[in-house]
Amino acid sequence: MPKKPYGYAQLEAVRDEMRQNPDMVYFYQNQIPTATLPTGEVIDLVKEFGPVRTSGRGWAIDETWIAGAAIGAATAGSKAVARLPMMTPIYAIEYVQNQAGKIRSMTGGQASMPFVLWQDGASRSRGSAAQHTDVGMESIYAQLPGIKVVAPSNAYDAKGLLIAAIRDPDPVVYLDYGDVKSGEQPDVPDEAYEVPLGKAEVRQKGTDLTIVAWAPASVDVKRALPDIAKKGISVEYIDPRTLKPLDVDTLVASVKKTKRLLVVEHGHYTCGFGSHVIAEVVQAVPNVRARKLSFPDVPGPASGVMMAWLRPDAPKIIDAAIQMMHG
Amino acid sequence: MSIEHARIDRRGLLKMLGALGATATAAGCNVSLGGDVSAQSLSGSKFDKTVALASEGPGGNPQWKAGDSLKFLPPQEIPTRGKAADLVGALPKEKLLGMYEKLNASRRWETVMKDLFLGGKDGLYGYFHSYCGEEAVAVGTIAALAEDDYIASTHRGHGHLIAKGGDLNKMSAEIFFRQAGYNQGYGGSMHIVDMAKGIMGSNGIVGASFYMAAGAAIHGKVRGTKQVGVAFFGDGASASPYYFSAARSCTNYKLPVLFVLENNFQWTGVPMALTVPTKYVSDYTKGLGIPHHTIDGNDVTAVYAAAKEAVEWARAGNGPSVIEAMTFRWYDHSGFSGGKVSQDGAMGLPYRTDDEVKQWISRDPIGRFRGWLLAKGLAQEAELVKIEKDTQAAVDASIEFARNSPEPDPERGVWNAHASGPVPATQFFNRKGLATSTPKTT
Repeated sequence: MPKKPYGYAQLEAVRDEMRQNPDMVYFYQNQIPTATLPTGEVIDLVKEFGPVRTSGRGWAIDETWIAGAAIGAATAGSKAVARLPMMTPIYAIEYVQNQAGKIRSMTGGQASMPFVLWQDGASRSRGSAAQHTDVGMESIYAQLPGIKVVAPSNAYDAKGLLIAAIRDPDPVVYLDYGDVKSGEQPDVPDEAYEVPLGKAEVRQKGTDLTIVAWAPASVDVKRALPDIAKKGISVEYIDPRTLKPLDVDTLVASVKKTKRLLVVEHGHYTCGFGSHVIAEVVQAVPNVRARKLSFPDVPGPASGVMMAWLRPDAPKIIDAAIQMMHG
Repeated sequence: MSIEHARIDRRGLLKMLGALGATATAAGCNVSLGGDVSAQSLSGSKFDKTVALASEGPGGNPQWKAGDSLKFLPPQEIPTRGKAADLVGALPKEKLLGMYEKLNASRRWETVMKDLFLGGKDGLYGYFHSYCGEEAVAVGTIAALAEDDYIASTHRGHGHLIAKGGDLNKMSAEIFFRQAGYNQGYGGSMHIVDMAKGIMGSNGIVGASFYMAAGAAIHGKVRGTKQVGVAFFGDGASASPYYFSAARSCTNYKLPVLFVLENNFQWTGVPMALTVPTKYVSDYTKGLGIPHHTIDGNDVTAVYAAAKEAVEWARAGNGPSVIEAMTFRWYDHSGFSGGKVSQDGAMGLPYRTDDEVKQWISRDPIGRFRGWLLAKGLAQEAELVKIEKDTQAAVDASIEFARNSPEPDPERGVWNAHASGPVPATQFFNRKGLATSTPKTT
């Protein structure tokens, strides 16, 4: 199984599904869909499928149009993916909320909605300032009825979840965070495969403490795990991968064993998705010690020193793990 | 001042068949449309042209007032000569009678519903946005479409569904929120739809139809068909950012879309006088250089002719058109405040004048089409009476059908959010699936 750049793995998913579905469309603003392997192989969706099925050289800076036209095409029967830039995830939300999420129900099941909102995610990076660093939109979308939400953390899941989302007859919000794209990646098969929606992955087995983190926070958790192990703490680390529907069974099974739950997220504190993770677990498991680390309820500042202090990073996770064992 | 100008001699205008209006144009598209694209010449009727463009000051066009819809009051009769008359007159008789039947079905079904809502014996509840008075727009437009073309409807969508061939029994059952309704009780009046007939939803969000029609047009285009998507919308939806977004992009990408504006002069409870800075709502998009047809929306022949031209324009790959059909809704925005059993029109509403309502009712699109069919010798009185009786009988039977249909099982409430099955019933302490949010299939 070859190593692949993250972006190549994603476009491979789109390309293969577009080959399988002649009426599938893929819309975007300026993220021209090309990717290249180190060996020189190229994916170029515009060249292969033409400007009508893709957005050609890119569409207007009009996120409601990009999402709305895709939702309209999906309502008519095309599988449709709309990729939106990272700083404006709210533009699409009205149409996703009132159309994509509700048409199946409103019509009494007449309508299908094979629509994927590929939402580029920002990151808690220094220098970008508040409008370009928001993370945690998954909790806003997860609150909408009829909408499924996934947030992959590595290239393998990125491809498999995207294929599963495209094949799903319901609308799926696919959060694509840049933080997870660099660094060591698992092998990515050439052929199409699904990472099933609603299935969490236990990334490390353990007995003392359950840590839950997805997408950007998974980077910090991975950095923290070796040091936590050195402290003699056995961590079970779970990546939910799909936030809605949430694989509560896997989370509950783990916390029944450890009785300790630490959730780490880059979203803002209030109503961040981690709060729902805790709510689901403590309703099902008695006597759980639970804690959440998150980005505080502030717009992200541009200053690097402020941003680093605000981030729930590895040293803070290690400290939290130690305190969870001794509290 | 403008009132005086509004009192134009419509009889005289009737004689001026073929005269070009000043506003309906294929502005700036650099394509010759033979000079006949003016929909006013299509119908032979003509609007007052003295309302100037907005100059300055708050509150829209300073020359507009409540009651100014009378400036657009069409003549008593539909002209029997002219391009639209020739075009529609040449249609097969079966098609003409079909259009008349659809007009009647829409009016009679809604009128019976109005009486039921006001009469109260069935305990009807929920929204009901009556389309009474505007039926010619749906019937004329949809008559110009092929069966596999798409339409995207609005909250005022009953007429669109009926014109597309909707089943009255399923419609009535949905108003009663019964299992046998089109939407099995999930939708009600505002969302009644038959998606198998190419209807992209009837929508409770003002302005939602644009992207639906555009998406349908894209769906046709990627499959290499010439299907068009029609976005019905009201003058209120013209303020939606989605309108400008979709009109702009559909023009840019030459998508086969019709923007059919049902201008009834009323934005829920706000008169157009306070909301529209231009003379015509369609003036907003004229800078795009696409064809604009401003027409008498109570003349089904004018609507058909304009829609036919817009459909041909779209199928030829030229992109969208805007049709602004001047019409009037007889009842309140939703419900029947000011209405009475066995009386046409709602009176005493604060945002319009009773005189306005009565004069528009006297230009009833159905009565005018009836008179036109007879005057042109295209149908016999007895044929039309039979259609009226049969339609009324079908409407009455649909009410009985609805009354005799069972309510949905309440537990259906957790279904249909997802294709895969129900979600957990989280409203109970002991709920199935407490430990899992994963929808289970059963």
